[in-house]
Amino acid sequence: MNVNFQSALPDELLMDMESERRVLSSMLHSEDACIEAYHCMQTTDFYAPKHAAIFDLLSSLFEREIRPTYVELLKEAHSLGMLNNPRDIEEVKYIAEHYIDDENIKYWIKRVKDKAKIRRFVDFLKNNYQILRERQEQDIEQLLMNAEDHLTNLTALEIDDKIDTPEDMANLGYDEVERRFLRYQEIQLKHKGVIPLDGLATGFDNLDHITLGYKAGDLIILGAQTGHGKTAFALHTAKSIAVNYGKNILYLNTEMSREQIALRWASILSEIEHDRIRMGDISQNELSMILNGYSKLRASGFYSYPCPNLTPEKTISIARKFRAQKNIDMMIIDYVGRMEKQDPKLQEWQILEQIIKTQKILAQNLKIAVMVLVQLNPDGSLQGAKRMKNECDLMLKLSPFSKEELEENEELNKYARKPNYYLYIEKNRDGRSGVRIPINFDLQKQTMKDAERVGN
Amino acid sequence: MGAGDEDILRIYDETASLIADLGIRGRISIDEMKFLLDLLELVLIKKDKRDFINMLKHWNPGQGDEEIDQIIKATLLNVDFKNSLSIEENQDMIGELINEKLKDGVR
Repeated sequence: MNVNFQSALPDELLMDMESERRVLSSMLHSEDACIEAYHCMQTTDFYAPKHAAIFDLLSSLFEREIRPTYVELLKEAHSLGMLNNPRDIEEVKYIAEHYIDDENIKYWIKRVKDKAKIRRFVDFLKNNYQILRERQEQDIEQLLMNAEDHLTNLTALEIDDKIDTPEDMANLGYDEVERRFLRYQEIQLKHKGVIPLDGLATGFDNLDHITLGYKAGDLIILGAQTGHGKTAFALHTAKSIAVNYGKNILYLNTEMSREQIALRWASILSEIEHDRIRMGDISQNELSMILNGYSKLRASGFYSYPCPNLTPEKTISIARKFRAQKNIDMMIIDYVGRMEKQDPKLQEWQILEQIIKTQKILAQNLKIAVMVLVQLNPDGSLQGAKRMKNECDLMLKLSPFSKEELEENEELNKYARKPNYYLYIEKNRDGRSGVRIPINFDLQKQTMKDAERVGN
Repeated sequence: MGAGDEDILRIYDETASLIADLGIRGRISIDEMKFLLDLLELVLIKKDKRDFINMLKHWNPGQGDEEIDQIIKATLLNVDFKNSLSIEENQDMIGELINEKLKDGVR
């Protein structure tokens, strides 16, 4: 018996040319569709070599921050020698004309990927059939185990997923510990005992000390009541990461305009009162200080995206784009309560829970830290807090000290400047929680600092 | 995607294909092909630099001073459409040349 699997199966089972064309056409005509396809697909998902080549070309344009339109495709294909005669243009045009509704992109991607899975399954059958034919004296148990292993990869897992064997896990664990050990040694020598961070600097030494920084894959929730410094905290974090350390960060703001965000930076970077800057009541010298501050922002990795109609789906799309094009290490969503509601039937806390879950998956998939700002109730509680707490890696609450505590708590007199706010670590997956970190928050200058302790 | 949007996309795709076809067949030079493709992108996709486009509408190549036409064309072919500054800088120069040509026509 000699079976030719490829020819024994009908073509329409192995390939779906129309779906491939529709995905490529959508990438050419819609940026959102392009982001979705770029993130979910790979070259080998396409059956036709020409389609695979066009997908590669569009992905390459996208990575270079060139919107991969039909014109850009023609120019790029021509410069790479892929358009040599009028027939080549006709073929590309035929693909481009397979218009779809942008909202259906996931459907067409699934169709293409399903066919790719079938082809991989056919390869699996073919390979095992050949092994049986060629090596008849073999360990059948081993053959079945190998086949099962391959089959599991085809059914349960995406191509980039990976199951760690015990050996993988042991190697990974030791490498991680060794990396930390060597870095700790290095920092002990170079920086006289300052604890090395594992992630991005939070902007507060005391918080860094407890958390070792915001790590890739972490979801951080920061809660505060209205007017209690959510945006100031977010921009303080952004300053630490993007200005002081030059890392790339994406800041999504659902409430403020571009101008308002840009103006906030003037106070943060120059430490001049925000009200005076807004009125223009500043001296020539202060104007120079502000200019100097903005030059730091210019050289930083701060990317801002004011988006009043932000939805969870949109955050995914934007984050993927900025991860691919700007290699961001962190995204901050300021703030989640203003995000558009997709399903009016759901309760507020259910929507928040869904958003938080989405962001955790996003953080893990893109290997970035994601900070979500939420609003606390007047009594300091948070709706759906328990469920949110389960999802996140770090949960912080920013609150002012009460008037009574400021007057009565002797501990607060042991600081060079009496702290007026504190950060409460409600949850910390990798370390201590239930800790209060006193800080000085200058509302006028929009700056935050660790409160400096002087006494015992 | 609305029906109107698809019409615009069809016009865009058809025109881009036509320009590329002319370039491949050697009816226009490769530089001319690239310029026309960039111009199409500017008008239909980016929908930007309206002043620049309106200015070009006043240019009637083939009528009047041929030398000025050649200078305008050479300048246009050198515009870097990815660089906003390049468009603006060349816009002033091309505008002056078109005005010069219009004045010559009046005389």
